[in-house]
Amino acid sequence: MSAPTTRRLEFIAVAFIAVLLIVVFPLLNSYGIISNFTLNLWGKYLCYALLAISVDLLWGYTGLLSLGQALFFSLGGYMLGMHLMRMIGDLGQYKKPIPDFLIFLGWTELPTFWKPFSSFPFAAAMVLLLPGLVALVFGFLAFRSRIKGVYFSILTQALTYGGSLMFFRNDLLMGGNNGFTDYKFLLSADVRDASTQRALFIATALTLVLVYLSCSWLSRTKLGLIQRAIRDGENRVLFSGYAAAGFKLFIFVVAALIASVGGALYVPQVGIINPSEMTPDKSLEAVVWVAVGGRGTLVGPVIGAIVVNALKSWATRAYPDLWLFFLGGMFIVVVLLLPGGIVSIPGRLKTWWAHRTAASAETATPVAS
Amino acid sequence: MTTRQEKTNLILAVEGVNKTFDGFKAITNLNFYLDRGELRTVIGPNGAGKSTFFDLITGRTKPDTGKIEFGWDTDLTALNEYEINRLGIGRKFQTPSVYSEHSVWENLLLSLKGPRGVFSTLFHRTRSEQRDRIDELLKLIRLDAKRDWLAGQLAHGEKQWLEIGMLLAQEPQVLLVDEPAAGMTDDETHRTGELLLSLAGQHSIVVVEHDMAFVKQIARDGKVTVLHQGTVLCEGKFDEVQSDTKVREVYLGRGKHGTR
Amino acid sequence: MNFFHRARRLLALAALSLGLVSHAADSARPIIAKAALAETPAQRITLISSLIGSGDESIAPLLAAWKEDALFVFTAPDGTKIPVQLSGDKDNKDAQAAVRIDNGQPLHFVAAGPALRLVASELAAVEHTSALRRAMKAVLDLLDLSTPDLKKRISAIQTLGFAQDAEKLAALQARQKIETAPAAQLALREAIALIGLKDASTDVKLASLKELAALHTIGSADALKAALKDAEAANHPSLAAAARLALNAVDRHLTTVNFFGTLFRGLSLGSILLVVALGLAITFGLMGVINMAHGEMIAVGAYTTYVVQNIFGPGLALSPFGFSFHLPGLNTSGWLYESYFIFALPLSFLSAALVGIAMERTVIQWLYRRPLESLLATWGVSLFLQQFFRRVFGSNNVQVSSPSYLSDNWTFNDIIFGWNRVFVIGFAGLIVLGVWLVLTRTSLGLLIRAVMQNRNMASCMGVRTERVNMLTFGLGSGLAGLAGAFLSQIGNVGPSLGQSYIVDCFMTVVVGGVGNLPGTVVSAFGIGLADQSLQQILLNPVLGKITVLVAIILFLQWRPAGIFVTKSRSLEG
Repeated sequence: MSAPTTRRLEFIAVAFIAVLLIVVFPLLNSYGIISNFTLNLWGKYLCYALLAISVDLLWGYTGLLSLGQALFFSLGGYMLGMHLMRMIGDLGQYKKPIPDFLIFLGWTELPTFWKPFSSFPFAAAMVLLLPGLVALVFGFLAFRSRIKGVYFSILTQALTYGGSLMFFRNDLLMGGNNGFTDYKFLLSADVRDASTQRALFIATALTLVLVYLSCSWLSRTKLGLIQRAIRDGENRVLFSGYAAAGFKLFIFVVAALIASVGGALYVPQVGIINPSEMTPDKSLEAVVWVAVGGRGTLVGPVIGAIVVNALKSWATRAYPDLWLFFLGGMFIVVVLLLPGGIVSIPGRLKTWWAHRTAASAETATPVAS
Repeated sequence: MTTRQEKTNLILAVEGVNKTFDGFKAITNLNFYLDRGELRTVIGPNGAGKSTFFDLITGRTKPDTGKIEFGWDTDLTALNEYEINRLGIGRKFQTPSVYSEHSVWENLLLSLKGPRGVFSTLFHRTRSEQRDRIDELLKLIRLDAKRDWLAGQLAHGEKQWLEIGMLLAQEPQVLLVDEPAAGMTDDETHRTGELLLSLAGQHSIVVVEHDMAFVKQIARDGKVTVLHQGTVLCEGKFDEVQSDTKVREVYLGRGKHGTR
Repeated sequence: MNFFHRARRLLALAALSLGLVSHAADSARPIIAKAALAETPAQRITLISSLIGSGDESIAPLLAAWKEDALFVFTAPDGTKIPVQLSGDKDNKDAQAAVRIDNGQPLHFVAAGPALRLVASELAAVEHTSALRRAMKAVLDLLDLSTPDLKKRISAIQTLGFAQDAEKLAALQARQKIETAPAAQLALREAIALIGLKDASTDVKLASLKELAALHTIGSADALKAALKDAEAANHPSLAAAARLALNAVDRHLTTVNFFGTLFRGLSLGSILLVVALGLAITFGLMGVINMAHGEMIAVGAYTTYVVQNIFGPGLALSPFGFSFHLPGLNTSGWLYESYFIFALPLSFLSAALVGIAMERTVIQWLYRRPLESLLATWGVSLFLQQFFRRVFGSNNVQVSSPSYLSDNWTFNDIIFGWNRVFVIGFAGLIVLGVWLVLTRTSLGLLIRAVMQNRNMASCMGVRTERVNMLTFGLGSGLAGLAGAFLSQIGNVGPSLGQSYIVDCFMTVVVGGVGNLPGTVVSAFGIGLADQSLQQILLNPVLGKITVLVAIILFLQWRPAGIFVTKSRSLEG
């Protein structure tokens, strides 16, 4: 199949799924055919798909296994969460105009850094700025000293770990252990309302489609070529005159932004954000989705995030004790037996079939050698 | 041996360079001068420091002491790999290193001279003259028919050619070529030699090679430098070098002088 | 416990023979008996007060009984009155065994007759007035001042000193004259000086301040601060200056103590990191395998220690996956029980090594050239093992009790050296030595190094690389198991034990330089010391940890070569 044909097919598939997600699902929901619960669950999966794409952009396309994506996801969530906490107003348990946990910590006034978060545009800007800045500084330091391979994984793991330690502390004034919850309003709509949730779902689906298309475009640019060249032979890239560190930094920041937006969309749909979302384990879980779906492709992470999480939703209810065995086992099996993930199955079947037919042809007419 | 003062047409100067790895002296007081347009062949037994020599020039390793200068005034020891490459020093590696998951065409596109920044590559559009240049190169390295093949699927000799093509695509002033003939048929080797000879003049070329027939072909009237134990053992025309007693001793009587 | 009793009795005997315990001839029991029979409250008070300075162990329970109306006077048929206490179970007539107060022996009618049993309600309790109770309290307060138990005595002295009650001064001074133990002497000097701070006379105050400056005990800081405040309030410059001098001396001492305390804690944390990271340095550094389940190998070791402990004790009931069974216990006690740790050490090593080898055979052997994949697959194993621990041992932490030889401490110049931590430091040294010997002096070590340097070459030379890989991985995992045995003595043992160490562990190896065992040693102690010092400076363990992480990232800017060696000749080396 030639490249343009594949691209047209891909475009048709994406357009079909986009219409399905952005139009059909919400419509079915408004007629009550898809329950609010199901739509909400799918909204969550789509946020995870964004996180998975961010992991894949680094791991699958650039060869950088970042275990820090959960940090960016949570940071995005926290930034919007701060706005949501402000929007509670004085409807909290203490009936005071500042968030309950601050009252609990003995604050009577809003700390200064909280104040601007009353504005939605500011919070939305911070969703991009803070994780972007963290990624920029960390990435700059890491790539400048040419930390790569497993060292990069270990350092990003440490970064996430450090972040979670920080957010677990009460004196960071970010809700400590419990994080943020009990949201009431977003853009003056009741967050818990079905129509608001539907709007959030549409926003998530739209974001996912846009991110997908942008990443697909990115992978076809010359920068995308260099990105994959870095994955396959970073030193060679240097000797071709490209400053690999700059490219990696760019991708790292872009991936952080994607994860962060995913997190910001996740928080109002799930209704809570706390530091346990930030632990290295969460990053690794996202890596499982990518591995299961198929890394180095853009469809893979989306499929992986949805399949694994749907499985998780079912298994944690049906077999709560066995889920972690299953997750761990799935990881081992995929890494050992199906490194290309789900998306590689059709190709594998084709090769297998081709081999089989070739083999049977060979036995029919033995070739002298 | 020539000294720097006598040189007017200098493009690369390596002076008094030393490099030690974990106590092993890879390069000892190395002096090497390359003229513009010169085709220089470097020979030497295994472990003589040939690859390290290239590593030092291209910034892959930094010398412990000594100077490496490009032209008259650019200190290469302060620059890193991609900065040195952008100055116009290209390198072909001993083991062919191509982007195996990219097509032949993409390999050449990535090597093509042009802006190397993040955003210029993001918004890069391949212009028609660039396509023409790639086509031209594809013909030169005889991979025209395999332009859409993944580089990893090529035969060893073809990868060597592709890497030479990538080197040419960069349009460097100085070409550092490490064992280009390895894994090639006699015919291919010969063609490689012809190509290198045709490039000399416009480019300055340093070729490291083992294959003496190939060395003889490309050395012609040019100079040959013999490296031994990380330093220049002798330098001169191919015939002079071949009859040098020290060189004979190194190549024939290795038992006495073990290279490590 | 028998031993301690005998030892204490020996001590008491020694004290008696040296005449240290006052009223040796007329010991406490007869005095109390006499007091119980005394005619007037005043006589009683005099007699009871005469007990001040005595360290007799019988005083406290007898006086307590008296206060609780449990001291009776029994009138014999011949009219003699004998004070008694009733003890033991009541029989069907409500009678209990009677014990004489004056000698602690059972009460008999006739010398050889049966012991008498009496009924409490039929006897008259000995009375006590509030004045008498005050006298008793004074006796009890000072009782511990004379106890033969040195620790108890010192703590009693310190309590009196901190109370700064001038009334107790006489007793302290009396004790000072006969006290021989140097530690108790120091405590007495401190206590007397502390009381002196409240003295009316400026000279006494000055002398006390001078004394406290010389002693510079940490405990005196509060009293000194109060004294300084008083002196400033009273506008008494010489006193204030002396108080400041004394406070400075205490501060200096405190700084020293903190410094060495931090150093010690840093060393011990470094040793733990070292033992934990050494196994990782082998699997990660030498083999290039990123074992995310390394933390779970630690947990395997810790749980093994837990199981061994229970086998030495009452046994262990487990119900993994719905099957419940009971591991029989040996029900040992005393030194035999406490020796369980000695057995747990090799078993921890073995069990973790076996789990590691099983893991190597099933998962890792397919991933030797794919470090990122090995990272992912071993994380899968780690999840698997964590859930396994939860199912077998429960989600909560299990209790591992330290043997007595690990749970005590030495206090030297106010710096506390916990034996468990001293032990870890010592053992870390032994383990490093052991690993070094294995790698350099054994044929396995030679093979390990050969395979690590050039897998293909070694296998061409006939080295059975598979076997070497397996054993190396077993060694690395076993070391993690050993580390787990130690950690069970220091912290909690739970399913996520490994998770709390894995990040630090990787950091240690990365900073040390991969495949570089001396580097690992240096970085383990470096990180341990940095962590503890920062905690001391920032007064916040989490901030300290975060600072260490940041410092490590910055360190790698300065020395990426610590983790990054380009020596190979191929491009993507």
